[in-house]
Amino acid sequence: MSTSHTVQEAGTTKVPAPAARSARRPRTMSFGARLRRDWPLILMCLPAMLLLAVFHYLPALGNIIAFQDYNPFAGDSPVQAFLSSEWIGFGNFQYLFETTAFWDSVRNTLAITAFQLVFYFPIPIALAMLLNGILSPRLRSFVQSVVYLPHFFSWVLVVSLFQMMLGGSGLIAQTAREAGFTAPDFMTNPDTFYFLITSQAIWKDAGWGMIVFLAALAAIDPSLYEAAAADGAGRWRRLWHITLPGLRPVIVLLLILRLGDALNVGFEQFYLQREAVGRDAAEVLDTYVYYQGISVQQWGVGAAAGLFKALIGLLLILGANKVAHKLGEQGIYSKK
Amino acid sequence: MGASTSRRNFLGLVGLGAASLAGTGLVTGCSKKPGSTGSATNAEQAAGVVPTFKDSNLVTPDIKGVSPMADGYVKYPTNLIDAITDKPITSGKPVTATTPWWGPAPPTANKFVEAVGADLGAPINFSIQDGNTYGDKLNTMLGARDVPDLTCIPGWEINKLARFSDGVHVLFEDLTPYLAGDKASAYPLLAGLDTAAWRDSVWGGKLMGVPFPTDSPYPTAFFVRQDVIDQRGVAAPTTLDEVYAFGKKMTNADKGEWAYGDIFQEVLQICGNPGSQNGWFKGADGKVSHRYETPEYKRAVEFMVRVYQDKLIHPELASSKGGDVKTLFKGGKIFAFADGLGGWKEVQREMTKSSPGFNMQAVKVFGADAGKPPTRWSSGATIMWTFIKKGLGKDRVEELLRVLNYTAAPFGTKEYELQNYGVEGTHFTRDASGAPATNDLFSKEFANQFIFLGGRPPVVVSSPDLPNFAKDMLAWGNDATQYLEKNPWEGIKVEVPTEQAAIQQPTDDKITDILRGRRPISDFDKVVAEWKSSGGDKARDFYAKVLADNGR
Repeated sequence: MSTSHTVQEAGTTKVPAPAARSARRPRTMSFGARLRRDWPLILMCLPAMLLLAVFHYLPALGNIIAFQDYNPFAGDSPVQAFLSSEWIGFGNFQYLFETTAFWDSVRNTLAITAFQLVFYFPIPIALAMLLNGILSPRLRSFVQSVVYLPHFFSWVLVVSLFQMMLGGSGLIAQTAREAGFTAPDFMTNPDTFYFLITSQAIWKDAGWGMIVFLAALAAIDPSLYEAAAADGAGRWRRLWHITLPGLRPVIVLLLILRLGDALNVGFEQFYLQREAVGRDAAEVLDTYVYYQGISVQQWGVGAAAGLFKALIGLLLILGANKVAHKLGEQGIYSKK
Repeated sequence: MGASTSRRNFLGLVGLGAASLAGTGLVTGCSKKPGSTGSATNAEQAAGVVPTFKDSNLVTPDIKGVSPMADGYVKYPTNLIDAITDKPITSGKPVTATTPWWGPAPPTANKFVEAVGADLGAPINFSIQDGNTYGDKLNTMLGARDVPDLTCIPGWEINKLARFSDGVHVLFEDLTPYLAGDKASAYPLLAGLDTAAWRDSVWGGKLMGVPFPTDSPYPTAFFVRQDVIDQRGVAAPTTLDEVYAFGKKMTNADKGEWAYGDIFQEVLQICGNPGSQNGWFKGADGKVSHRYETPEYKRAVEFMVRVYQDKLIHPELASSKGGDVKTLFKGGKIFAFADGLGGWKEVQREMTKSSPGFNMQAVKVFGADAGKPPTRWSSGATIMWTFIKKGLGKDRVEELLRVLNYTAAPFGTKEYELQNYGVEGTHFTRDASGAPATNDLFSKEFANQFIFLGGRPPVVVSSPDLPNFAKDMLAWGNDATQYLEKNPWEGIKVEVPTEQAAIQQPTDDKITDILRGRRPISDFDKVVAEWKSSGGDKARDFYAKVLADNGR
């Protein structure tokens, strides 16, 4: 997508910009001529397109099992199995939508997304701005490495680390016990579960999420700060009038993408801690699908849930993008 | 990853015109519910196709096992028999195989595998997969219909494999023409495998796999740190009340010590609950019931609520799935837990090296009250199966069966020694009694490759580093046999309808909520009522019908 965009822009550089906006662009070159000129670009994109086709578009055809009672051993080959499994229309969707437990898990998922939008989403932005304020490049890259390293740890590790700190046999509980107190057990308390998982998410991923904001900060023209400082703008005024507006397109873009992912809050983190706090607190869409679809061999139900998630995600992205455009933002694609 | 998933699914949506997915009214209008309606094989069918048994045991056991417990051997036999003189593989074609392993993957350049391969006549190329995620891997392999010559599948994974009762006939060779009845005499060591295990290897009236017979039929035992409790003068429990008292005495949170790992499965058996067929049983009146409906189950739940409430279980195990019970046990952070018997030898062996005096023992089986017998669940006659790829041709199938005949070599043969201990001088040395003591190269290269490849008559063997192992295990197992649950569905392959399989997790979740004190114990009857109405009663009818169809 981004490639064809570049190609087009490259092709229209000779046309005066304002005219191009209002009227249909006159075609200055034939297809053959453009091909001759752009072939290196096309060639460069080809491997990526191929990857996309093989690992994303082709497997997407498998989504037809959402409308089947899929049997991987029907027919003579794996491909035939897709065609000869029994078609059951919307049976898989019906199975999902009729169970209250499914809607419980959707509600939990959305609640967690909403909670994390407020308590997690701003953290990487704040972190990036703090880090940007560090002048020593050495110290800065050191801190940056330290905070983004946990991103590469698996959830099992992150959960056991929290366990060692906050759990019933953890550092805090044990220290409290030695001092004669009883510390609350955060790991098994369903009421504080959202705080627990959000802290885990922050510890693990906030540093990673910060990188893109750091890049955006680096792109802000330093002369703006100098000019503002010369005009007597204080630290907060510069933050409010230069830094945040500079970050705004990135923030909006990531916010929209996050909304599209509203029904994805992860699987492992919840799977690992589900027993400790109970189904009512920790059942999210993905764990529900695992227990009621995959582990009882209803692959069609899993596919149906995937389509449902994608549809909701698409609607949220389009909706949020529209709102962004109304507010004069660029959104995920610019409106011409 | 999330974004790419949406993009991928997006195309699927467009392609299928899912815009019509607007209202639930429409959804219900033109559809059928997914899921299988369940199936069960006929146990009678199995009788005609299993191989005729011919005892292949060579060595007289030191301790006789009470069936179905395997025999025990304290001494290592001094003159080994060369059971197979001809090379099993005559074509020279390498054999591919997939086996599970719970530990670091052994190196590909592997002297151990090479040595056995040389004895077989061609190399065996193993694809060794992580045992903890083996089911996922198998689902992909079987779904793609891309299986090696020999595929090893543990019994507990079979129920997780999608439509296995269909897949087994699509993917794997029917062994009936090769092994049924007296035909098995061409493979004398396979004929030496237990008949009950062979009966377990029949799908849809056909002999489909080669079984790995179990050495002990018990899914769990109640293990304690005997050395620590002796030192502290605490006796191992003999009643349910004593389980609680033991927990109280051995828990000392200030020192970071808790008495227990999860012991629910043991408590259920101590209270006398059935568990061999997912908790179903046939009462004295002939009525099929589930343990949820019995006072014994409720008693076990009430007991566990107290155990959790008084924090007798290590918090690390209570707060995430990631907690490692064995590490806590080895490290002296807990003193008792429920585990399969397979782990006993491994833990004891590892700890004998690093902390002499470490003594792990299985507590002699006891009931909830003095004089009230417990139940011991039976996990069946077979631990795992090996399947041969379909369509390889008669000659190759016979060749592969000869390989499995080789791996079935019993204790006391040269083949057994090679597959279990490697090459003398390279992987082990003999102690004064002639018993092999393995070295570090063995630990690195050994991953039960040939042990999992096929079954053999099971034995429990002591080793120089664990001289008491056979004695301890046989003493426990022989005593426990008297309480072994009679499973009326034994030998019948029951596939539960999807709808009934799907009620298990929600019910387990609710019971876990009660155990952990998130729901009051008074909710228990409500949970059982919900289970009944959401499929439990239907499941009862299903299980009862399976029995009736089999004339049991």
